[in-house]
Amino acid sequence: MEILTQQLFNGLTIGSVYSLVALGLTLVYGILHIPNFAHGALYMLGAYVTLTSMLLWDFNYWLAISISIIVVGLLGVLMERLVFNPLKNAPPIHDKIAAIGILLFLEAFAQLMWGADYRSMSTPYGEVVNIFGTTVTMQRVLINVGAVIVMITLYLFLKKTIVGSTIIAMAQNRKGAHLVGINTNKVAMLTFLISGALAAIAASLSAPINLVFPGMGHLVILKAFVIIILGGMGSIPGAIVGGYILGFSESLGATYISNDYKDIIAFVLLIIILSFKPQGLFSKEGV
Amino acid sequence: MKIVRLLAFLIMLALVMILTGCIDDTSNDASGEDEAEADTDVEEPETEEGEEVVNIGFSGPLSGSAAFYGERSLNGMKMAVDEINEEGFEVDGQTYKLNLVPLDDKYLPNETASNAKRLLQENDTPIIYSPHSGGIKAMQVFNEEEDFIIGGYSSEPGITEEGNDLTVRIPPRYDGYMEPFTEYSMERYGEKIAALPTSSQYGKDWSENLLPYWEEQGGEVVYDSSIDFSKETDFFTTVTNALEEDPDVLFIGGPSEPTAKLASQARELGFEGGFIVMDQAKLDEMRKVVEEETYELFEGSVGVTPLVDSEYPGTDEFVEKYRAEHEEDPGSEAGFHYVSLYVFMEAMKEAGTVDEPAEIRAHMQDGLEQLPEDKQVYTIPEIGEDGGFNSGISMAAVEDGEIVPIEVEE
Repeated sequence: MEILTQQLFNGLTIGSVYSLVALGLTLVYGILHIPNFAHGALYMLGAYVTLTSMLLWDFNYWLAISISIIVVGLLGVLMERLVFNPLKNAPPIHDKIAAIGILLFLEAFAQLMWGADYRSMSTPYGEVVNIFGTTVTMQRVLINVGAVIVMITLYLFLKKTIVGSTIIAMAQNRKGAHLVGINTNKVAMLTFLISGALAAIAASLSAPINLVFPGMGHLVILKAFVIIILGGMGSIPGAIVGGYILGFSESLGATYISNDYKDIIAFVLLIIILSFKPQGLFSKEGV
Repeated sequence: MKIVRLLAFLIMLALVMILTGCIDDTSNDASGEDEAEADTDVEEPETEEGEEVVNIGFSGPLSGSAAFYGERSLNGMKMAVDEINEEGFEVDGQTYKLNLVPLDDKYLPNETASNAKRLLQENDTPIIYSPHSGGIKAMQVFNEEEDFIIGGYSSEPGITEEGNDLTVRIPPRYDGYMEPFTEYSMERYGEKIAALPTSSQYGKDWSENLLPYWEEQGGEVVYDSSIDFSKETDFFTTVTNALEEDPDVLFIGGPSEPTAKLASQARELGFEGGFIVMDQAKLDEMRKVVEEETYELFEGSVGVTPLVDSEYPGTDEFVEKYRAEHEEDPGSEAGFHYVSLYVFMEAMKEAGTVDEPAEIRAHMQDGLEQLPEDKQVYTIPEIGEDGGFNSGISMAAVEDGEIVPIEVEE
């Protein structure tokens, strides 16, 4: 029993990180139909910016995260302006190639700037708490709670504000949105801003339980793609549910089946779900 | 619009520059070295009239994910070269100086092989170093034919088991650690072990050696898996499962930093037993990651003695000098590369030649005996028939929050 609750909690933690990363990815895909391979690099930069502001200016953790959100968000906007916007009339393959190019560029850039070695981010929330035999650390609680808050905020923003509705409108029909007077350029930039911010939040929350290094984006990006395919490309509830499905299947699969096969379990699950729902769990109706 | 774009780009660039500006000026211990990127340039030695130059080759990872490892290795060699070149050395009445030629192989064996060819053609190097077993094996394909010595920094026994006459294995073989590590951990903590090393080939080799030996000694393997440090975001899941089997000892290893994270997460989950730490991870580097002053968190770990805690005749001087130059503690890779270059130089003197590798190899034992005591960062009494340095096992354990060297009976 104890191990089940412990593993459920572990799955929840890892699922929260996956969901946050997948959300950013699915937003961009839903609106611009770009598979943003560089999203993992944004995640990595988010961790580095937080770490740097903590070390360099002795900022506290929360302030450092805010700076990271702004910097990485703006970097996302810059990516849209400099790379994806000029390519909007090009064949779709060009977007994909450009995204991979950005990924390689940003990784090499991080290595040049911060060096190749592993760094660790210290957290003010390191203490261990025991709840009914389940071991949690404050940082992990923070990841879970933080993820839920971010998801709710995002939901309210999209559903309850005019600006948010423009994003949904554009996801539903780009031309239609343009016709009713929505500035599609602005919406595209806004989407990249949110996407970068989500990556920065996910990275800053999860970095203290792992390490910060130039290749850290690979840890999550492949799984994030699995999640958005699983949940339906462009679907927001799909990204959230998909993230938790993957997190739980990893932790429970490792426990009750085999640790060595836990990645296989996740991918088998993907195949099964896609055979029954080829479009993904929440395919495209209303973001 | 163009101007706006350019402006936005410049502002972002400036912001990033500011952010990265002086991350290393802070007191973060774990940030390690970064000045190294400029360090791979090596100056040619100044030669006076009548002096000649011997080129020494090096092919290791100087970029990519293992760059810090290659750079530390190279730093050790550079220190030795600088010291030797102050006076030069005399072989058969002729004064020589050393010239180090480092090339980057990005940790890829095929690159090592082509680097070696290039070093031979352009620099005519009698000795080529490589700090990874893949690269060493790639060079072994042609080193006897093309006549050069491989200075191999790898504890993989395989590199000296093939009967290659011109390979020198610098560190001790890792299989020597099995017995003392097992004995210590079993006695102090108990008979149940859970294995969670890195999932690299090297981690698997270690598991395959350690676990059967552990069982032979009457122990029990309760959990046997591995962790891919390049794929796992969180180690809690795996560690929870391993601890569910109630082990007395955890076998962990891989690069120092993730290994340290793994150990501290095991402690968070309530593990109170000991750790057997693979030789790839170094206890002193692990401590820096968890930002603790003492080794308390790693109580009961057995591993390779960190160089800074070793007590060979030349260690203190080397450590001091290295700290002054690089502002960090040297690891064993720097120490072994340093001492081995001195041994090669002494062997050249004894052999009376700088360009006949077979002769140099034949006089390695004399070279080891001639090595002055103050250069013995590690004491290496002999070189085996197979070309491996028999420096003996140097192990340490954490007891009461401190590193304690453990005597190993040979």
